[in-house]
Amino acid sequence: MNPFELRNPDSVAAASGAAGPARVFKAAGIDLLDRLKERIDDPDALVNLLPLGAELGGIGRSDDGTIRLGALVTLQQIADSDALAAPGLRALREACGEAATPQVRSRATLGGNLLQRNRCWYFRSAAFQCAHDGKGDRCLAWHGENRYHAIFGVVDCLRVHPSNAAPPLMVLGAEVEVQRGEARRRQPIAALFPDSPAAATAEHTLGADDVLIAVHLPAAAARGGSAYRESREKQSFDWATTAAAVHLGVEGGRITSASICLGAVAPNPWPVDDAQSLVGEAPSRELFEQLARRVFRRATPTEQNRYKVEVGQAILVDALLAAAGL
Amino acid sequence: MTSRDEHEMRVGFAGDAKKITVDVPTGDAPPWDLDTRLTSVGGRTRRIDAVAKVTGRARYAYDVDLPGMLHAVVARSPHAAGRLASLDLSAVAALPGVAAVIPLKEPGNRVRFVGDPIAAIAAQRLDQALDALAAVRAEYTTEAAVTDFRDHPDAPELVRGEVVGPWPGRGGDEVAAALAAAAHTAEGTWICEVQTHSCLESHGLVAWFKDDGTLEVWASTQATFGVRGGLASALELPEEKVRVHAEFVGGGFGSKFGADAEGVAAARLSRLVKCPVKLMLSRFEDHTCAGNRPSAIIRIRAGIDARGIITAWDYDAWGGPGYTGRGGGTRHNPTYFTRAKTRNSHRDLDSATDAGRAMRAPGWPQGNFAMEGMVERLAELAGMDGLAFRLLNDADPIRQAEWRLGAERFGWEQRRNPKPGTPRDGDPAHLLRGAGLASAFWGQMGGTGNQVTCRIHQDGTVEARNGAQDIGTGMKTVMAVLTAEELGIAPERIRVTMGDTNDPVGPASGGSTTTPSLAPTVRHAAWLAKAELCERVAAALRVEPGSVRCEGGRVIAGDRALGFDEACRLIGPTPVEATGRRFRNYEGYQDSVAGCQFAAVVVDARTGVVRVEKMLAVQDCGLVIDTLLAENQVLGAMIQGMSYALHEQRIVDRATGRMLNGDFLNYKISGPADLPDMEAIMFPVANGKNNVGAAGLGEPPAIAAPAAIANAVGNAIGIPLRHLPITLDKVLAALAEARRNR
Ligand SMILES: Cc1cc2nc3c(=O)[nH]c(=O)nc-3n(C[C@H](O)[C@H](O)[C@H](O)COP(=O)(O)OP(=O)(O)OC[C@H]3O[C@@H](n4cnc5c(N)ncnc54)[C@H](O)[C@@H]3O)c2cc1C
Repeated sequence: MNPFELRNPDSVAAASGAAGPARVFKAAGIDLLDRLKERIDDPDALVNLLPLGAELGGIGRSDDGTIRLGALVTLQQIADSDALAAPGLRALREACGEAATPQVRSRATLGGNLLQRNRCWYFRSAAFQCAHDGKGDRCLAWHGENRYHAIFGVVDCLRVHPSNAAPPLMVLGAEVEVQRGEARRRQPIAALFPDSPAAATAEHTLGADDVLIAVHLPAAAARGGSAYRESREKQSFDWATTAAAVHLGVEGGRITSASICLGAVAPNPWPVDDAQSLVGEAPSRELFEQLARRVFRRATPTEQNRYKVEVGQAILVDALLAAAGL
Repeated sequence: MTSRDEHEMRVGFAGDAKKITVDVPTGDAPPWDLDTRLTSVGGRTRRIDAVAKVTGRARYAYDVDLPGMLHAVVARSPHAAGRLASLDLSAVAALPGVAAVIPLKEPGNRVRFVGDPIAAIAAQRLDQALDALAAVRAEYTTEAAVTDFRDHPDAPELVRGEVVGPWPGRGGDEVAAALAAAAHTAEGTWICEVQTHSCLESHGLVAWFKDDGTLEVWASTQATFGVRGGLASALELPEEKVRVHAEFVGGGFGSKFGADAEGVAAARLSRLVKCPVKLMLSRFEDHTCAGNRPSAIIRIRAGIDARGIITAWDYDAWGGPGYTGRGGGTRHNPTYFTRAKTRNSHRDLDSATDAGRAMRAPGWPQGNFAMEGMVERLAELAGMDGLAFRLLNDADPIRQAEWRLGAERFGWEQRRNPKPGTPRDGDPAHLLRGAGLASAFWGQMGGTGNQVTCRIHQDGTVEARNGAQDIGTGMKTVMAVLTAEELGIAPERIRVTMGDTNDPVGPASGGSTTTPSLAPTVRHAAWLAKAELCERVAAALRVEPGSVRCEGGRVIAGDRALGFDEACRLIGPTPVEATGRRFRNYEGYQDSVAGCQFAAVVVDARTGVVRVEKMLAVQDCGLVIDTLLAENQVLGAMIQGMSYALHEQRIVDRATGRMLNGDFLNYKISGPADLPDMEAIMFPVANGKNNVGAAGLGEPPAIAAPAAIANAVGNAIGIPLRHLPITLDKVLAALAEARRNR
């Protein structure tokens, strides 16, 4: 392993200033250290964000009902948070509470979870060179083993977005706050996830000196109902094979707002535009099953991951029913 | 001629007890039987090393850290097949921290799988050794490789999961005739993927070649004496110059019998540098270079007569044991087929992947999965319940009793789905429940050639020593319990030493023979030591030697009762020391042990996810030496079997032959939240095979679980699943096919 420098900045601005090519931010380091040990990353310096807990930590609720989740908040803190008790926010707590193992959840940060790199076994092995890691010329999973890979949104890489936290944040209309140098900016969370052609090699849109500071939830998110469901092969820590986060507003027996985002099925968290078709309808199993069928009809599975189509529908219906309180 | 004694014994079990007379060479301890009343044996003794293990004080090879120790790694072939064309290690030696580098292959040698060792490097620090790998200059001429045994030119053709093509021509006439005469026949194919041993402690050792020409080794092994022999011959040393320690071993499951190429490399490196060298495999190497349970394709055709008795059994299998092309055989319980014409054929198909090794009941889970799946089908054809059909066909008297006991305790009647493929009353439409069962058979009863030392000291300390290893099964505790029983004291008092080849010779832990080989030896040693203790006490007290006995923590001499420690003070400064040996097995009650397992599952028909709700095992292991340890073996085997049934599979990139899930993140093993309610019922049998009546228990309970779970899934969804592991995609595909056929 190449020796690297570990920097402990004393402010976010200093952290941003310490960044650069071949330098990488480290939060809890769960994802990063794996990448170093597998020798798929080789930075000169790690810029440690953990000393910045005062600026980057904490879950806060303002009087206007908006919620701020610091980037260093752990998945377990989210799962346990009283500030996130509203039914509208349940999807986020459920997603973070189901992720990984108790040990990982207690260390893993929200920022790191959103910005972790994908788990494709070709990408994660230094023995393989693929187009996505920039060292090869094609997607190896495409012609190889891909039972855990994407069924939506595949352009040139079959990876899936691994984050449990991202789909619920998408349906809650979250914004991320980013600092570069002294300057802060806010953007919808969806803008974190790159489109083609950037997506060919990148998994998020932040620059090397962009520090993710916080995630903000609008007050409206707390209203309505929400749910997160995932299917996995094992019950003791496993990655989701398919996941669905749902947020629904229901008034007078009619759906007034609907937002759906799927996880583990596409290179990015996969928002379902069709969710809009639910608005104005009375929630029912039939309605949700119809929608799920429509959504997954557009999937493009491989021979090995065809199962995700069926599993995804079941999971989506479960999440919709739970969010609607049925 | 050795003189011989005859002993009358009552053997068997309550439902089938008989008196036999065994003819035993004089000098063995009088054998225990059904009527023997035992105190420590059969209890629930806490493992004598439990505290050391849970507090981390137990020192495994992985933990060994010696002054001046170097760390070694192995450079490996990235290619699945070809030849090493050139090897240049000159740049390696010049790197910081590197102390020595040796080639493990010469140019021209074949490389046979991804991970074939090429060179070994020792450096001051592990990261330096790992960095140095990049400086190994190796060139290869590569060849196209078959990396999956299904792609072998001789592999059977599979159409929708069924082998098509002719049956073997030879030796099948009788079976063919029996099939023709059968009232019903069936045919089917079963497939198993590769399972890795996944020992918690990876393979490896620390080797220290000393100035005096001796080699001392701390190995993670299930054969201390085997490793000693292997290293002695590889380094051309006399065996007495090699000493191997394995005080604690983090699992072996059949993959740790030898020093392996890596262990020999570490010893050679140590000889070069004259300091200790540690070489432990990484998790990826452990998955890819240290053996596995081979894959298999099995097809069976079978017939029953009008009463449901199995009359024809034709079993045809292919094994996928990797590059050696050997050792992929499958086995199954023979006790259903005593009235059948049978044929058994097998071929191994080599592929350019790591070689298979023995793995906990080698070949048995695969073979039994297929066999019990076919038996399930035959029961259906006979119009019988699976349990009734097995009771009709099973010739094993022990298992006959076990089936009944297990079915009652498990609730077979209630748990079996009478309408496979449909939900039980009260369940939502997508939840399908079912139950399955399967048998286990094991035939090894241990062997001779081992010795155990029992020593009683003046201060009351009792030692039991053997040089073999305790691979985690609790052998040390077994030694304590047996010694304690013989001396009439508490097991906690016994100081047991295992895992040092300077102690008396012991077996390799394979074939579930460690307990049946050592237990009678341990007892013999304690029995001899007791006799001498009594003699010395008698002499000191001037009473008749015959009037002294050990009982209830006391030594009773005529009308005096001394505490054990008090009695030991009378023996003088020279400890009592006895060497026990192992006599040949007696004729006994039966040559095999029997077991059976039951499983209940719930299948989510929408997601294909199978959850096991309940597992129950009934298992014979001869005399149950300690109930806690025995149950622990059975439960562990059930978990491993469940994991094999539902999750575990080596996934290999076909193009390169490289394993893709060679870690514990993507190689899926059942975890705590996956576990069902589990019950292990020991079924003690006085087998009359040796002075203890011990039989092995490591492997027998590892046989039935996958078959029982697969049968339960079949009962739940109404379609047999004949390809392990039963992952969600297979369940969904089977359900979809059933819908299409409806
Ligand atoms: C056994 C295991 C099981 C797992 N299962 C799951 C699962 O089921 N679901 C799931 O979602 N995840 C799972 N994970 C992944 C885990 O949740 C992530 O690795 C973890 O959340 C990363 O957080 P971290 O704080 O350790 O990030 P780090 O490893 O420190 O960082 C990850 C990446 O994000 C960047 N980064 C981190 N914080 C910031 C910031 N504030 N600003 C800018 N860049 C930043 C880093 O530069 C790095 O590239 C699993 C991991 C393990 C080891």
